[in-house]
Amino acid sequence: MSWDLVVLLIGPAAVAVACWFVPLRAARALTVAAGAVSFALSVLLVPAGAPTTALSGWLRVDSLSVVFLVAVTFLYALTAIFAVGYVHPDGDTAARARYSRRFFAGLNVFCWSMAVACLVNGLALLWVAVEVTTVVSALLVAIDDTDGATEAAWKYVLIASMGLGIGLLATIVMYYAGAQVFGDAYELFYPKLLASAAHFPPAVVRLSFVLAVLGFGTKMGLVPVHTWLPDAHSEAPTPVSALLSGSLLAVSFYAILRFFQIAVRAVGPTFPRDVLLAFGLASLGLAALYLASQRDLKRLFAYSSVEHMGILAIGMSFSAPIAVVGVLLHVLAHAAAKGTAFFGAGSVVRKLGTKDITRIRGGIGALPWSGPMLVLAVLGLCAMPPGGMFRSELLIVSGGLADPADAVVAVLVVLVTVASLGLSFFGTQTMLGPTPDTVVKGETSWMVVTAMLLGLGGLTLLGVHPPGALSHLLERAAAELGAPR
Amino acid sequence: MVAGAELSQPVIQVGQDLTILVFAPGVSGAIAQVEARFQGRRGPRVLQPYYDLAKLFRKETLVPEDASWVFLAGPVVAFMCYLVVPLLIPELTTYSLPLGYMGDILGGGFILALAGFSVALAAAETDAPYAQLGSSRAMTFAALIEPSILFVTFSVALITTTDLPYAEAAAARSSFAAAIRPAHLLAALAFFLVVLNDTGRIPVETHSSTLEFGMIDEARTLEHSGPALALLKWGSNMKQLILYVLLINVFAAPWGLAGSRQPGAIGLAVVVFLGKALAVGLVFTLIDNSFSKLRLFKITEFMAAAFLLAVLAVLVLFLGGGA
Amino acid sequence: MIGVGVPVAALVHSQVPSAFSGVAEGLTLVVLLSEFAMLRAPLSRSQIRLYSFQSLAVTALAAYVAAARGIPDLYALAVLSLGLKVIVVPLVIVRLLRDARVELVASNRLSVATMTLLAIGLAVFAVFVLGSLPVHSHSLPAAAFNLSAAVILVAFLLVIVRSDVISQAVGFFSLENGVSVTSLVVAAGLPLVVEVAFLFDLLVAVVVFGVLMRVHHGRTDTLSTDVLDRLKG
Repeated sequence: MSWDLVVLLIGPAAVAVACWFVPLRAARALTVAAGAVSFALSVLLVPAGAPTTALSGWLRVDSLSVVFLVAVTFLYALTAIFAVGYVHPDGDTAARARYSRRFFAGLNVFCWSMAVACLVNGLALLWVAVEVTTVVSALLVAIDDTDGATEAAWKYVLIASMGLGIGLLATIVMYYAGAQVFGDAYELFYPKLLASAAHFPPAVVRLSFVLAVLGFGTKMGLVPVHTWLPDAHSEAPTPVSALLSGSLLAVSFYAILRFFQIAVRAVGPTFPRDVLLAFGLASLGLAALYLASQRDLKRLFAYSSVEHMGILAIGMSFSAPIAVVGVLLHVLAHAAAKGTAFFGAGSVVRKLGTKDITRIRGGIGALPWSGPMLVLAVLGLCAMPPGGMFRSELLIVSGGLADPADAVVAVLVVLVTVASLGLSFFGTQTMLGPTPDTVVKGETSWMVVTAMLLGLGGLTLLGVHPPGALSHLLERAAAELGAPR
Repeated sequence: MVAGAELSQPVIQVGQDLTILVFAPGVSGAIAQVEARFQGRRGPRVLQPYYDLAKLFRKETLVPEDASWVFLAGPVVAFMCYLVVPLLIPELTTYSLPLGYMGDILGGGFILALAGFSVALAAAETDAPYAQLGSSRAMTFAALIEPSILFVTFSVALITTTDLPYAEAAAARSSFAAAIRPAHLLAALAFFLVVLNDTGRIPVETHSSTLEFGMIDEARTLEHSGPALALLKWGSNMKQLILYVLLINVFAAPWGLAGSRQPGAIGLAVVVFLGKALAVGLVFTLIDNSFSKLRLFKITEFMAAAFLLAVLAVLVLFLGGGA
Repeated sequence: MIGVGVPVAALVHSQVPSAFSGVAEGLTLVVLLSEFAMLRAPLSRSQIRLYSFQSLAVTALAAYVAAARGIPDLYALAVLSLGLKVIVVPLVIVRLLRDARVELVASNRLSVATMTLLAIGLAVFAVFVLGSLPVHSHSLPAAAFNLSAAVILVAFLLVIVRSDVISQAVGFFSLENGVSVTSLVVAAGLPLVVEVAFLFDLLVAVVVFGVLMRVHHGRTDTLSTDVLDRLKG
């Protein structure tokens, strides 16, 4: 069943090219179709027990990649729907049409590169794909051509590229580690690396892992290398913010997990876990503080992303396998919840004309559908039941409690609570209160509502009753991540 | 080895000193001549420095009011220092002469520094502002270049496990790989910059300028006259040639030295040495004519470059590549 | 006094590196020195030239490693890197900046001597940290590995202390050069496909950097990044 990998590899790229040539309406429709088809294909991969390969081994998805592929393509589909309703739905002038064309082409390339990162087999190609995501998304961040967007794009592309330079170094050092076993010339395929990782020189693998966490962590938004993230998330067009936060950070986390997988086999689980724990605690702690004092609605959600990336890193540092299952579920839930939250924030900001939290009031009155759904998404991000994050964080915390000597879990719970307080307080107060009279009430587009409904639906599904195939997938992926018995 | 017709070691040692003493003004004259040709002038005769010295020795010495005996002792002490250093360095022979191990690179450096210090002290004795300025600048920059010299010394020490110039020269001679090893090249380059600074060349100083504001070393001798000035000029020529010896015979090209004590070999070594010194002088002249002088406050950049090279030499040695 | 009769050669203890490591380290040093030179280069054009020169050194290293260790793939890489990094990338940047007409960038936040000392400190740090790792093998010029780490750290310093878009972009490109040196030294057998992908990626990055530089210049009429101070918190 390898044809679907090839379709995933070619489809979005082909649509991106097509966006330049077909009529704009067709480009919009094609984008939605590409997103939906990609998501459907990814879902088809969920039940597969064994890894799927294609193109003589250069493409390969195992359970771990499928988890992230689903997260990426789910948000791809949602964002495509949302963007059709959000980006100049009445594209009449030539300038607007050109903007839309560029936007949709870029959107497809961006999602394509993230999907490719999950599809390719091998650390080197993974790095290439992640670097492509950087440059494409930097252009998308800058597309609005405002002072803020330019500044954010420059900071983003510079910091993320420098970070990925370190990531490349990590890849090369890992190659060197492998060369001690395989000899001078070999391909960096995962199965090969994983099979022999136990014989790699430990000191070299440690170096490679730390470099990888630092390098890919820059893109993932781990403190202290997160500095580009709030700027890019807040200044980018809303669909791009959603993708950056929900998918791109996840893809970077995926890259770190690939190194984690090798490191666990080469040097044992303690060292990689400790490294992730340090970065995770820093991220969670700092994000909790920033969430309590944020005035910009989109930056608020950006710092919430930092918080959740911190939770992911801390979750990986727990030894119980259930925590790893929780982490992977958290990735999916975060994609759904954060995507929806950004969609709602974008609608509110556009409706009320400001990003300043202290001045936005009465969102629910102005937006009868997306207003309440934004509140629900924010509550979902605070891990309120019945959202998926409740389940995933519960799994992570219970995984942490499995090791009674570990005090970290207490710190985790306290920090998450503080962060949730800030997020829920500021996130929801914008929705309440009287709606200003100057604001025209009503939704901008039913597409926006659809995207948010689907996002909330996914989030609730994950929380209430994850499909059995998905649960098995997460368990298999967690097993792939763990050290072999 | 032919017995009998060998010079005794003390004779060779005195020969080293005499080579420096006698030929230093000539080398300076030759360099000045080449430089003039580069600039399209006919230039002074090669022997002009000797005539200058002879003329100065015939003149009377004027001492500023309030200047103590230090004013006159300075040039003499400096001159004596320049006579001592050639005893320590591999100038003509690959083997060390009886007094060759009397001092290492640091020892030689100390003696050269003492010479510089006594000249500066003599200049500071006067009330003349330019001389004071020159001596204070000279001491400042000497202090700034000092770290580079130290690190060059360290790299020599790491290469040879001694800090004897003879050992470094022998190490570089031992094989091609040793001569092109990065640490050696870096140390040589760093020392080249040090020499550039110590001989008062562009980009640090315009050595032929008459503009007092840009002067560093030159300004120190403004108040001296007669035999004292002759000693200073002669000393500065000797210092230049001594630094060339270190640059050439320790770092850049330690070949062509006499391996035996036969008069022929020694004579040949003198000729080869003078040839190499002129070649180095030519390089300095080329640099002099293709770069412009740095602003005084930019000279620290030059020092930083020299320091960088010397530090890198030591770094490279500390990694598997060297030691 | 050590005694007159001691043959000087007996005093020479330190092991001489092989000619292979010697040349490899020498080229790496050239890369590092050009990184230092970029740190102080006041003109944007001179900085781009230095990058081109540095890439030439990397190319030479690739060709040398190919010859010395018999890896024909690396010749192809050397040719590609010559074409891309030495010629195309500098040309692209120069062309993108032609209408900027800002020559003197002079964006040092620190004096040159301070910067150099800082960079020396970073280089020493890099060298000793990596030197403490057991990355050794017979065919490996160990110093070159550590020096390439120094190149990377100095590239970071370049991006930090220079506040203009050209220097920062060149800083990133030269960081990539440093990583290339690392890969040539420790991972010479990296598959050609992968190396080509890296190079292609760099080219894409260059174009994007260039576009953003133009946008920045178009909006602010300056190459300085000091105006980029609106987003914080």
